[in-house]
Amino acid sequence: MIQFNSFSLKNGLKVIVHEDRSSPLVAMNILYDVGSKDDDPVMTGMAHLFEHLMYCGSVNIPEYDLPLQMAGGENNAFTNNDITNYYLTIPSENIETGFWLESDRMLQPDFSRNKLDIQKKVVIEEFKQRYLNQPYGDVMLLLRPNAYRVHPYRWPTIGMETSHLESIGLRNVRNFFLSHYAPDNAILTLSGNITAEKGYNLSEKWFGPITGRVTARRRLPEEPPQSEERKLTVERNVPSDSLYKAWHIGPRLSEDFHTLDLLTDLLAGGESGRLYNRLVREKNLFTEINAYITSEIEPGLVILNGKLLKGTDMAKAENAVNEVIEELKNSPVTENELEKVKNKFESSTVLSNTSILNKAMNLSFCELLGNADLLNSEVENYRSVNRKMVTESAGKYFNPENCTTLYYLSAPKN
Amino acid sequence: MTSFQRLQPPIFPVNAGINIPAELISLSNGMPLFLIKAGTEDVMRIEFVFRAGIVYETIALVATSTNMMLSEGSVNYSAEELNSILDYYGIFLNFSAEKDTAGLTIYFLNKYIEKVLELMNEILFHPAFSDRDLDTLLKKRLSWYRINKEKVQNLATDNYFESVFGSNHPYGRQVQESDFEVIKSSFLREFHKKYYNPEGMTVIVSGKIPEKTIGLFERYFGELHLEKTSSTDSAVPIKGSFEKKKFIEKKGALQTSVRIGSATINKRHPDYPGLKILNVILGGYFGSRLMKNIREEKGFTYGIHSSVSSLNLSGFKIISTEVGKKYTKKTADEIYKEIRLLQTLPVPKDELDVVRNYMSGEMVRMFDGPFALAESFKSVWEFGLDNNYFLNFINKIRTITSDEIIRLAQLYYNIDDLYEITAG
Repeated sequence: MIQFNSFSLKNGLKVIVHEDRSSPLVAMNILYDVGSKDDDPVMTGMAHLFEHLMYCGSVNIPEYDLPLQMAGGENNAFTNNDITNYYLTIPSENIETGFWLESDRMLQPDFSRNKLDIQKKVVIEEFKQRYLNQPYGDVMLLLRPNAYRVHPYRWPTIGMETSHLESIGLRNVRNFFLSHYAPDNAILTLSGNITAEKGYNLSEKWFGPITGRVTARRRLPEEPPQSEERKLTVERNVPSDSLYKAWHIGPRLSEDFHTLDLLTDLLAGGESGRLYNRLVREKNLFTEINAYITSEIEPGLVILNGKLLKGTDMAKAENAVNEVIEELKNSPVTENELEKVKNKFESSTVLSNTSILNKAMNLSFCELLGNADLLNSEVENYRSVNRKMVTESAGKYFNPENCTTLYYLSAPKN
Repeated sequence: MTSFQRLQPPIFPVNAGINIPAELISLSNGMPLFLIKAGTEDVMRIEFVFRAGIVYETIALVATSTNMMLSEGSVNYSAEELNSILDYYGIFLNFSAEKDTAGLTIYFLNKYIEKVLELMNEILFHPAFSDRDLDTLLKKRLSWYRINKEKVQNLATDNYFESVFGSNHPYGRQVQESDFEVIKSSFLREFHKKYYNPEGMTVIVSGKIPEKTIGLFERYFGELHLEKTSSTDSAVPIKGSFEKKKFIEKKGALQTSVRIGSATINKRHPDYPGLKILNVILGGYFGSRLMKNIREEKGFTYGIHSSVSSLNLSGFKIISTEVGKKYTKKTADEIYKEIRLLQTLPVPKDELDVVRNYMSGEMVRMFDGPFALAESFKSVWEFGLDNNYFLNFINKIRTITSDEIIRLAQLYYNIDDLYEITAG
């Protein structure tokens, strides 16, 4: 049970404090409710580029990192399709430095053309390093726009292409800030060696004076239901053929989310999943195979990917995958198998919550979903899934007309 | 209304509590068990360490494959059964075979402690090494190997180690595709018998350790026969390549991977803490000189880092980055420029203060919570050192002078001695 206090400032900032005296540190997490789904479709990659710009100084502080390091702190951030999340850990005696830094860049980051140009170059190198110059690195650039036709989940967080990043100007960046970065669009969580009272007072002192600015309401185009099978084949300079499948599922808060999460664990959790046992150990068709849900807030995907053993025929491999899936739809899983994936989930949750930083991030995200206390009921939610629910969910979603398949083939060497 | 002045809050000195509460227990057969009692949740981490790293193998892939096969079936369970049971009890396993040590780290809920120890005895001392499961593993590893050979990062790193430690020494030897055809299960059995010996095992337990833990260890590990065996260090001397520069061409690459560095001292040397501090200034944190110059001022890369690491028989320093192809030469020149600056001009007081405080904060993080304590403990125990290493380190962080940094930069970063490996 993770105890916490929560309150809202007048400007709309939500604050959560979880006290854990066993650590000499405090973790401070600020989640902004903005992700790559909020990118302009002709300027994708903006939310993530903006995260980089948040480190380029702010109205009263020329450099973010320097004072933080001076105070013994460390920080990082990530952007995904749904959120932009900034976090730091710092010895508790210096937590006020964290408040000073984070509130100043919420108030007004310092944008200059030179800094924007440099961060655009940095992010384009990141694009190359992680997506373009990496075997199988472009998979999400291929799979997403086929699985989604209109919804902004059709591009990955890094963006659709580097030219989008190149086209971003200072005015776009300023507008993006005004539309998304404001106290009423953020959740601040403190976890570790800090009392709720101190957390509240410091929040009031540093964030309280920032004027609330009602950010634009989000209006995302809804993805129409997929009605026929989608297939795509590409050839790349990679050593082995790979198979990817994506099925549409509901949003993060839909009733069967936990069932589907367990279902993918049954298929591919650890080295005891069905896919691994059947297709890697027994039939020797794949060298590895994995399945997971994207866990996104808007309607997401179950993604399956497998690397074929050299010389295996793609059609044969795909049939074998389909057989495992069909079996899940047609016959109930055993009680023992279901218990296994539930136990594993419980274990991973408890272990994750040994870190003050994980607790801060998890509380923030649960609050965004509607209530930080969801964190305390997650294990119970997974425990309540039964065998019938697993079979039903498999039957509901694992259908060819709901599926996008990518055949990622190894190009013949000339 | 007067507007609120956003003045910087005072910064208080950070005092890391340098103390690892490790208690040494010997089981009745003499097996050493270190207990680190800390934490508030009912979870534990246990690390089983053996001197069974890559340095002990005479045939490539043997040390790593032996390690990875431990959970692929045992005398009592098939690979499928064993993995199913491990998952059923929610156990997270990290197998690792490093250059010197190898072993297994597990994380689990305390309520399963008894079952966990029973299973660990099975995994560590009764693996099956079946031909079928070894074949599956090797196919998987060969697939990873081929994918890694497509990555400029891996090409550069593999060639860096080969250049620095020599192609014949296990620290530097590169795996070849033909190595996968040679491996047999009998090699693994032999390696396991020799190096995964109960006599050579050390156990580091951390977390909220229940009272009954020692009794359970006694039951599952206390009766193992400890047979004295001598592990033999590699007979091959470490000998770096004569060629200091090497370029590996990768057609179609969009970036070049750069690795610059050489062999160096390790944790047992009195200069090591100072060298670590110098490394942080150069490229060891976000505000480092390399990061500021190459990323934040020039935008050549997503990231550039330098590190100094210890091995049992040596140590090494390495500067790593992936840069746009056209920036390769400029990047290397800038790296050498930054090294020369550290060799000639004193580090300004302000910068040194930032590094002192940043590293003090890092020390706090290294001792925060049971699992971090266990990792810190292992990192010195492995070299025959103890808490004094950390006390010396924190003392050095507080007292190092800019003159000493110049001395260390001249002594350990002689540019003519550095290897420059590029792939792209």
